[in-house]
Amino acid sequence: MTVYETDVPGVGKKFEVELGGGERLVIVLHHDGKREVFHKDDPDADADRLFSLSGQRAREIGAILQGAYFQPVDMDSVDVPLGDAIIEWIDVADGSPLAGQTLADAKIRQRTGASVIAIQRDSETLPNPSPEDTIAAGDILVTLGTRDEQVAVEELVADDDG
Amino acid sequence: MADLLLEVGVAVAGVAAAGALASRVGLSVIPAYILVGVLLGPNAPTSILGVPVTLVSDSEVIAVLAELGVVFLLFFLGLEFSVEQLLRDRRSITSVGLLDFALNFGVGLAIGFAFGWTLVETLFLAGIVYISSSAVVTKSLIETGWIANDESSPILGTLVFEDILIAVYLALLAAVTSGGGLRDAAVSVGVAFLFLGALAAAAWYGSAWFERLFRTGSDESFVLRVVGLTTLVAGAALALGVSEAVAAFFLGTGLSQTTHVERIEHIVSPARDLFAAVFFFAIGLSTDVTLLANVAGLLAVAVVATTASKLVSGTLSGRLYGLDARRSARVGLGLVPRGEFSLVLVALAADVGTGRLGSVLPAFAVGYVLVMSVVGSLLVQRADALTDAVLSLTNHADAR
Repeated sequence: MTVYETDVPGVGKKFEVELGGGERLVIVLHHDGKREVFHKDDPDADADRLFSLSGQRAREIGAILQGAYFQPVDMDSVDVPLGDAIIEWIDVADGSPLAGQTLADAKIRQRTGASVIAIQRDSETLPNPSPEDTIAAGDILVTLGTRDEQVAVEELVADDDG
Repeated sequence: MADLLLEVGVAVAGVAAAGALASRVGLSVIPAYILVGVLLGPNAPTSILGVPVTLVSDSEVIAVLAELGVVFLLFFLGLEFSVEQLLRDRRSITSVGLLDFALNFGVGLAIGFAFGWTLVETLFLAGIVYISSSAVVTKSLIETGWIANDESSPILGTLVFEDILIAVYLALLAAVTSGGGLRDAAVSVGVAFLFLGALAAAAWYGSAWFERLFRTGSDESFVLRVVGLTTLVAGAALALGVSEAVAAFFLGTGLSQTTHVERIEHIVSPARDLFAAVFFFAIGLSTDVTLLANVAGLLAVAVVATTASKLVSGTLSGRLYGLDARRSARVGLGLVPRGEFSLVLVALAADVGTGRLGSVLPAFAVGYVLVMSVVGSLLVQRADALTDAVLSLTNHADAR
């Protein structure tokens, strides 16, 4: 992506950004902080003024564009902050030593400190599971605990010698 | 004291009202400031419908404020001067700048000699009709949105070239007009360029020193330092017989290399705007519009010839930048307005005050700037209709 920067004496700075396909965005930064944004369909077209913003507005909108206001969620690594504790989704693989055990047998809380708050099986979620519920291969355990405790759970689920 | 204070109050309030009115109508504020000066000043008209309107006299106070206006106009010109851009685009800027100078300055010289003016008078006249108004031109660029188009490059390039040229030209004219004979003039030109050379060197190598000088957390202290130093340098220059405006320009270029540019823009701009408005007002104040009758012929010739010459030089400049016919025509239309720098030149002429410099020329320049700033604004607003008309004509001609 090419950005052309030009000084505009008495006004401020002008930036031209190529958007691909010949389209261009032209941004004029005024000394008083005002930003004007123009769009060009192709390099030969006249620029259309899209909008102008105060400095404060421009910074807020810029933050949104940067993704600082709202982080698009990557579903593989969702962390919900709960003080020190976080919620993790842990896959139970086919060879997992916990597959086939009830929660009471697995003693997850005693061994790691983390609690199983739900079990996801296919498209169903079993919230607040009881000690008699059995863990099956392919389940996803929803666990609550500190980061260290979560690491311990992952080791426990994956551990073939357990 | 009471009289003076009241006069300054009337002047600034009048300028404020005129500016508001001009913005409402969508015209440039500069002619409005001049007109309100003409109206409230000691020259005709002295009364409207029997009500006396000579409220402001041409006092020392107004003169000093106006002088500061000139100093700060040129100081900001230097401050916003982009040396990098000049070096980067030097070939294209130089070519359009020289083209612009040759055509428009040439037409100015021709007009002056045709009307039988002396060499010095003609030099002033040529300068006045040559230089476009950076303020009016950039404002209309923003209003039309041309700033985002390709035609802005040759327009801004031409303005950059004109800005350097006017600094040099002011220095030259100030020196030439300061002494009596040719030898005195040569000596004063020498002194001027020595002083300005020293100042330019200080500006170029003194960036680090300026950087430290203006480093302060307090806005109050900052504005005092900038205004204090600028005024001091300008005053010292004038005392040595060098153009104070040019000295301020060089000081501005020295500061343009520091990190303080943005802050000066923010904090000192209001001071510049205030002083500059008073300067335009003072130009109107000292204008005797009754003299306009004597220069009507000259004015008509100058308006027509120099509008045409800017259109031609601008269009050719656009072509040099590789623009199509429509955009090239816009470059010409955009550069038509003349304004603050023509008036800075005429202020210098009025100070000299010999022959036509003190009488006919100021009246002519005020009339000229009034017409050109309004005509220029209108041409830009109607640009699309105008270029359509011209292009369809040329296409018809081609078809035949």
